[in-house]
Amino acid sequence: MTTITTTNPIGTMLPPPAAAAQALPRGTLLAAVLAVAGFQLRRLFTLPRLAIAALGVLFPAAVLLAVRKTLSGSMDGTVVVILYALIPEALCMLGLLVTMCPAVADELERGTWAHIAVRPHGRRALLLGSFVAAVAWTAAVAILALCLALAVSGMAHPWKRFPLFAGLVGLSCLGRAALFALPAVIVPKRALVASVGVAIVVEYLAGFLPAVVNQLTVSLRLRSLLVQGMGWGRQMPAGMQLLIDPNPVWVQCGAVVLLAGVLLVASVLILDRRQFPPSEEG
Amino acid sequence: MIEVIDLVKHYTAADGRIVRAVDGVSFAVAPGEMVGLLGANGAGKTTTLRVLATLLRPTSGTARVAGSDVVLDPVGARCQLGYVSATTGVPDRLTPREILQSFGRLHGVAAETLDDRVGQLLSVLDLISCADRPAGRLSSGQRQRVSVGRALVHNPPALVLDEPTSVLDVFGSRDLLAFLADLRSDGRAILLSTHRLHEIENRCDRFVIIHGGRVAAQGTRAQLAGPAGSLEQGFFAAVEGARA
Repeated sequence: MTTITTTNPIGTMLPPPAAAAQALPRGTLLAAVLAVAGFQLRRLFTLPRLAIAALGVLFPAAVLLAVRKTLSGSMDGTVVVILYALIPEALCMLGLLVTMCPAVADELERGTWAHIAVRPHGRRALLLGSFVAAVAWTAAVAILALCLALAVSGMAHPWKRFPLFAGLVGLSCLGRAALFALPAVIVPKRALVASVGVAIVVEYLAGFLPAVVNQLTVSLRLRSLLVQGMGWGRQMPAGMQLLIDPNPVWVQCGAVVLLAGVLLVASVLILDRRQFPPSEEG
Repeated sequence: MIEVIDLVKHYTAADGRIVRAVDGVSFAVAPGEMVGLLGANGAGKTTTLRVLATLLRPTSGTARVAGSDVVLDPVGARCQLGYVSATTGVPDRLTPREILQSFGRLHGVAAETLDDRVGQLLSVLDLISCADRPAGRLSSGQRQRVSVGRALVHNPPALVLDEPTSVLDVFGSRDLLAFLADLRSDGRAILLSTHRLHEIENRCDRFVIIHGGRVAAQGTRAQLAGPAGSLEQGFFAAVEGARA
């Protein structure tokens, strides 16, 4: 039988509450965000998650090896397009769907939501910490996948492409994680389905419309950076030019950062006001 | 320390009906006092506690923790409050030590004091032997003690516990309630809800009985039970009086 010590050790362990009330920690948002990020990253270091990540790392390289066997001659352009489609687009999107979408739903299911939300900056820290963890985890997997894919790509000077693609990975993770934060707080229990819908409708339908609406998508910015980085702008047919934005690199990067900031602030404000009845918690 | 004044919380049900979960509840818990919040299922206990914990916003009325209004200064209220829910909500993969450290950091406990604080809580709560074992492999009692430690990691002057003994056996309940009595003697204000009247009738200083979202009766055990009765009889009398 276990017995909790009942000889009032708390009195010597902790300062008296009256005195402690003056010095109770309020903490800072940054410290709370880092605490949640560390907590979420530890949760990601499990065998099943690591196995999925390993699959993600190997998959683009496997596809490139298969492509090399079927194509002959110079195929740098093809390899770059495949790399772009597989890593900053597909891999980052899938990684973020798995890590960012359940940010709130997981806590509700596990019954930990209440314990996080009663901390001074708990709600904001949960969202922003999950965002940091999702971006760090997905970007790390994508960068490893990029290194492996470049190593087997068969391109001339493959590592010259590394900075461009690493930048695309970073921006993709930043923008898409913020995009998926919105469904995660609005419809936490259906965040995955809603995020897939958002990805298809916003990123891949609206993003390819030659209209103002595509300015608000991450995919337009990534495509434009790829085209600029590869120097393909002038070679593209006029119709294809409509699918990219000719503004300089800093505008593309700034647009993604601004979009991510707006989406995160909106998500934080929504989560601050969300009330979950006990029946919604696991 | 804990004040609830004319608290009202209404929900809109799925069919559009307004549900009055809490309908004008008022009570207070002074420092060094342990108050039991009693009521049947659906009486409004959990909703009241969740408003105090800033998890729900009141429709109207006031709730304060150590002077901080839960609506006007929720961060202030959260700093002063430790909250234990009916479900332990302890992450399976983390160890008790990791859980206490993570929540201490989340709460902003200074790094130089956190390790000591965690070590002391593990010791006091008799969790040393399982401090580095994943929480998924702990017993219900151990998980509930981790949950209590998590609520205490920032040394709050007020504690709110929602049916803390519901997952414990009789020994676990006895030990936890004795531990809460020790916390009370340090000057903390403790508010706990429970169905198990016999467990707390000699532990709490006062009781608040709520029924249908309203306070049916409140007072000491002697005031509620009468000279010959038990708290349970007093509880039934109060609830039946409220129904009538």
